[in-house]
Amino acid sequence: MTVTAWFPFLFYAASAAAYVAHFSTRDPRAGRTATALLGTALLAHTFLIGMQTMQAGYAPLVGTTAAISAFVWLLGLAYLYVELSTDERAMGAFVTPLLAALAILPALNPETDPRPALLRSPLFSIHVLSMLFAYASFALAFVLGITYVLLFKEIKAKHLGFFYQRLPSLQVLDVMNARAVVVGWLFLTCGLAVGIVWASQIAGSPDPRAQAMHVADPKILIALISWIMYSFALFARRAIGWSGRRAAWLSAAGFVIVLLNFLPVGYFLTRSHNF
Amino acid sequence: MRLFAVGVSHRTAPVELRETVDFARRGLPLALEALRERRLAREAVVLSTCNRAEIYVAADSEAAAESCGRFIGEFNGVDWKTLEPHVVVYRGPEAAGHLFRVAAGLDSLVVGEPQILGQVKNAFTAASEFKSTGALTHRLFTTAFSVGKRVRSETGLGEGAVSVSYAAIALARKIFGRLKGLNVLILGAGEMAALTGTHLRAQEVGQLTIASRTLASAEALAAELSGQAIPWSSLAQALPAADIVVTATGSPEPVLTRARVEEAMRPRRGRALFIIDIAVPRDVDPEAGSLDQVFLYNIDDLQTIVKENLARRTTEVQRAESIVREEVDRFRAWMQSRDVVPTVVALRQQFETIRKAELQRLEPKLASLSPDARARVDEVTHLIVEKLLLTPTEQLKAADDEATALAYSDALNRLFKLHKKEDE
Repeated sequence: MTVTAWFPFLFYAASAAAYVAHFSTRDPRAGRTATALLGTALLAHTFLIGMQTMQAGYAPLVGTTAAISAFVWLLGLAYLYVELSTDERAMGAFVTPLLAALAILPALNPETDPRPALLRSPLFSIHVLSMLFAYASFALAFVLGITYVLLFKEIKAKHLGFFYQRLPSLQVLDVMNARAVVVGWLFLTCGLAVGIVWASQIAGSPDPRAQAMHVADPKILIALISWIMYSFALFARRAIGWSGRRAAWLSAAGFVIVLLNFLPVGYFLTRSHNF
Repeated sequence: MRLFAVGVSHRTAPVELRETVDFARRGLPLALEALRERRLAREAVVLSTCNRAEIYVAADSEAAAESCGRFIGEFNGVDWKTLEPHVVVYRGPEAAGHLFRVAAGLDSLVVGEPQILGQVKNAFTAASEFKSTGALTHRLFTTAFSVGKRVRSETGLGEGAVSVSYAAIALARKIFGRLKGLNVLILGAGEMAALTGTHLRAQEVGQLTIASRTLASAEALAAELSGQAIPWSSLAQALPAADIVVTATGSPEPVLTRARVEEAMRPRRGRALFIIDIAVPRDVDPEAGSLDQVFLYNIDDLQTIVKENLARRTTEVQRAESIVREEVDRFRAWMQSRDVVPTVVALRQQFETIRKAELQRLEPKLASLSPDARARVDEVTHLIVEKLLLTPTEQLKAADDEATALAYSDALNRLFKLHKKEDE
């Protein structure tokens, strides 16, 4: 089990190397290799999650580590979908290193935590999966935003170099960023709503974590802040024309908050979500 | 079968001479027809562009090379004495290498220019429609197309605009993606305005609006570009609607100040504006370029881009050349196996026939042997034949240039009176 747990990480890392090589050399063979490696990583990852589900009898969504694993898997699938539907590989050089970096955590700690009775509700699974899918979308929006800013700076500075030759147009990056934020926002809203319903269901439970299901808990508070942030990004784009660079910065800032919630808060600070 | 490329190009002949040997003038089918009548070659493709006039042929004899050279002069009414010093002949894999370099844009006047690949394709299509192509030219040209494609996708040889107008359009594409449906405003109605307008029109932009100090000249250009002319005074109304602004007036003062652009940007709500200032002296205050979502490029900026692109193309030449070498090696191996394999097969068949015939002849004497011993005889004779053939086969396959391979297989064919199969 411990050896197989490293397979997804190894393939993610190899595909990241190939994507970066493709990005810098623009060798189409490197690009095809990269996509194939990412596909392999996702297959290995799917297999691993499947094995864990079979062993435990439920999907391994409990605990930050398992959540990160599921997040990596969803982000990988979402990215692969975008790549195959747009035939645009440049983003891979930014997404796959993130996948590889995050995939280290579940590889180091492959044990699935037992699922407490508290979490046996289907609402819990919907909540976690929606949140993770929202975060995966925001991660894509973040990468698109960063690349938008990089390209914008090159064109603005009249120094047409590295990114100019490799990235799609500003317009395409902006439109894709907008779509990723919309999809992410929908799932985030859904995830939060289901979370509230579920929290009210378990409100009577003596579990200290159920007691801590409160807006003041850092994890919940920051999730709400990120919802406000992305709601503002959507509003600003539609109502006051904050597209392009401003939208890119907003989605980048939003994802920083999401990551903050995911890693330090998820591991150390929260009292309501420490499963 | 021998392969030749015969002709003149911008590297070997001055423009005055190239103009006189233009096959396209009388039409490629006519040239192919004339070639066929003269029975110079088994297969022929005529490539004719403004920078080259070349014939690619597969023929049986070396003499075909010079005959084709003479044909180029004859067909175009140019004296052979005048033409001869400029005609270059490439043979075998060298001919393939030359065509691959041509198709890749390595032999072009502007290195990496993309049109040549299409011209090579047209030349081949014309020849194959005329049924003057065969297995050799077919393989040669299809490989050339894939070399052209590989060079374009694997190197930066064709990348980057090498003229100011194309540099501006490439930039616009990087900002807006597709230019279809974008609004363009052109200030000025001079030659540069017309040129850039024509390029933009070709990109299927939406509304093309032209403003000039004299309405009449704006209207003239508008008619030419199927755009719309507006009086200079309504510039302020037209400006916010434009996604791309081209300024090319003769005004000594900037016509677009920072304040004016800033005002125009307000109703655009964050949509980008690309200003191309190709006027000298400049028409747009450089300060306008510091506004958010405004991309301002003047003629010097564009010229710098063109220079950088040209320099980058030069560095990509090495990578393109190595792709060409790789493909030439592969093509050479294919040609050799084509020359040699039928001979090897025929030789083996002949030896085997002799062995079988001898065993047949000795049959009455062998009949008394035990089946075991007879099998041994069969095995031993087989081994002898194999051993005898081993070295010549190896030597034949190892012949590393086409002439040697051809000479070897020719000698074998004669010495052993092999019945060589005709080429397909």
